[in-house]
Amino acid sequence: MTSLRMSPTRISFFIPALILILVFVVYPIIATILLSLNINPIPGTEIVEGAPGLENYVKVVSDKRFLNPKGVEQASFPMGAIVHNVIWIAIHLPLTLVVGILFAVFLQYVKGGSIIRSFIFLGMVIPMIVGGLLIQFSFDKDLGVVNLLLKASGLGFLAKTWTIYPDTALFSLILGSVWLWSGFTVTMYSAGLSSLPREVIEAAIVDGADFKTILFKIIIPMLKPVTLTVVAMTILWDLKIFDIVYASTQGGPGGASNVLALLMYEYFARLGDYAMSATVATILTLVVIPVVLLWIRSIMRGGEG
Amino acid sequence: MGSAPTVTTKITFLIIGIIVGALIGYGLGYATITPREVTVTSTTTVTYQATASPTPTEKVKLIVIGPWAGAEMEAFQQVLDKFMEEHPNIEVEYRIYRAEDLASVALPQFEAGMAPGDVIFTAWGWWVKEMGEKGHLLDLSGLVNPDEFVSGIFDPVTSGGKIYGLPFTAWAKPGFWYRKSFFQAHGLQEPKTWDEFLQLLDKIKGISGVEAPIVTGDGVGWPISDVTEHFIITFGGIDMQLKLASGELKFNDPQVRAVFENYLVPLLEKGYFSEPIEWTKAIEEWWSGRYALYFMGTWLTGMVEDPNDLGFFPLPGCEGVVMGTDYIFVPKYTEHPEEAKLLAKWLATEGQRVHVGTHAGKFATWLKVSVEDHWAPMQVVYEKLSKMKPVPDLDDTVGGDWQKLFWDQLKLLWVDPGKLDDVLNTLTENFPG
Repeated sequence: MTSLRMSPTRISFFIPALILILVFVVYPIIATILLSLNINPIPGTEIVEGAPGLENYVKVVSDKRFLNPKGVEQASFPMGAIVHNVIWIAIHLPLTLVVGILFAVFLQYVKGGSIIRSFIFLGMVIPMIVGGLLIQFSFDKDLGVVNLLLKASGLGFLAKTWTIYPDTALFSLILGSVWLWSGFTVTMYSAGLSSLPREVIEAAIVDGADFKTILFKIIIPMLKPVTLTVVAMTILWDLKIFDIVYASTQGGPGGASNVLALLMYEYFARLGDYAMSATVATILTLVVIPVVLLWIRSIMRGGEG
Repeated sequence: MGSAPTVTTKITFLIIGIIVGALIGYGLGYATITPREVTVTSTTTVTYQATASPTPTEKVKLIVIGPWAGAEMEAFQQVLDKFMEEHPNIEVEYRIYRAEDLASVALPQFEAGMAPGDVIFTAWGWWVKEMGEKGHLLDLSGLVNPDEFVSGIFDPVTSGGKIYGLPFTAWAKPGFWYRKSFFQAHGLQEPKTWDEFLQLLDKIKGISGVEAPIVTGDGVGWPISDVTEHFIITFGGIDMQLKLASGELKFNDPQVRAVFENYLVPLLEKGYFSEPIEWTKAIEEWWSGRYALYFMGTWLTGMVEDPNDLGFFPLPGCEGVVMGTDYIFVPKYTEHPEEAKLLAKWLATEGQRVHVGTHAGKFATWLKVSVEDHWAPMQVVYEKLSKMKPVPDLDDTVGGDWQKLFWDQLKLLWVDPGKLDDVLNTLTENFPG
């Protein structure tokens, strides 16, 4: 234990990294929080207009783009950016988990599975801004692969440009994001699967267990640590989703696909209202923190186990 | 425990001391530095005093930023080439930024004392004025004589006796464009009344292979707002357009609602307009005969294969035409202010003569450019437009966050006309001021 004691020599090695973290991580976080409270964090500039306080938080929360009570009440879009983010998580998370685990298991036992995995991973390699444009094209009435599939399967009456209608814009983006994000989940589960002890599965097969039993009673429970990571990363990704929406719908029509990060960007880039933008960023951080804490806790518990 | 500190310990304390010192210094600076003053100005008349920018003796490179790509960029490049020919010591590099992207990128750069370019174009006069009032732009008063330009064109970029932008060539959004060959092939004629317009749409809808009579251009949203404004000017009058832009009239006012309810919404409900299609893709589809009519600006003339096959008509009874220009401004943070001003002045004057002669589909705002200087197809358009009164663009006049809201809400109306009241109320509630 003596060797682990923090001597001044050891502390000095931390200092360069500490300075960088202080300047580029801690200070921006503190500055953003101060800015959201109308406290000027940068001397010599005039980026704050109102009096210090929670005024910006009140303004953001009462902004219909953030939360639209009428839309929520009538279950019609737009419901507000924060509700759209929640809907995104509610649909995207289970879908991406199911797709990820099924493909990973399936590709484990299929000849040429690694090649197919590479193709699936392409979604992750594509820049998300391009991914947004691809989603827009995919749901186009004439050019889109989704509508071509619908027509081919006798559902041509459903063919339309999905991203321009308020009732379907958000859902089309979410479905598109499942494709873009599945590369990550498939890769994570594939890595998890390859590290599972094969003798456990082989013993189950010898005992006469069918595929369903092996999947639900052995594979999925043993992949719990991977699932926790995938869940946390997916929720974080869903909460900070921006580029897909920006490139494909700009949050429209009528704000029907607006999300928190886009709202933050609009305050910042469109209005030059840095304080309001910082407020949305702080709210976004507050929403993200519990997820991160739960994730860290679960990982530490896993480590202890 | 009681031993003297080692060299490493001393260094450690020294570094910590520097950090703490820096933080204290920062804190003191925070408490003592006087915030930069922001000048708030008000609009006044500007008097012209000619000033000359010297030609540089050393080679200088300027960055010009504009919104044009493709065919429009090729036309503008001819203007820059001519300038470089006349000013061999100035090299000009052109970069593309859409107005909405420029607004996002430039403001943070200005705040940091930087500029993305030396001479910049944007159609948003309101934005130029706002940046000028914040002290980010050079005052261009005296570079040109405002009396030599179209009346009132400096108003959107003038504040506190200073001119922050110079006008470049202008465009107009005159009405519905069609292919003469398509109309001839199907025995169609320009309508003279609203009823004839409806009959025309019905006839077009019955033509085999036509998806919808009118193609709706999409993008960030301006093509939809353009056609909407045309309906407002036609059925509400020029006065309604001006009052809506100034906020004097609300969007949910019964007379405004009537324009939407009686004229625009029925056409949307009957499927006379297509779904919004990316506006350049829409040109191809309209030109191929999939759609018959396209509401677009005069720059369309430079974007089609055969401009001589083009015809257009405004809605019957329309007396006004939305016109606008691209403004040239020079950021205060340019490294070559004199050369940038020289280029800005040239572009606003002689550069216009070059530009209107290309296939850009633009008109000159500098009155010393004659009709004959314009590209031949534009002379025909110019002749037809001269009978209409110029009107400012509604959303470009209001600007800010509301402009994006306007575009977005109209997109919603286009796909869901039943939400008319929601759309009008949203536009009213969020109108600035």
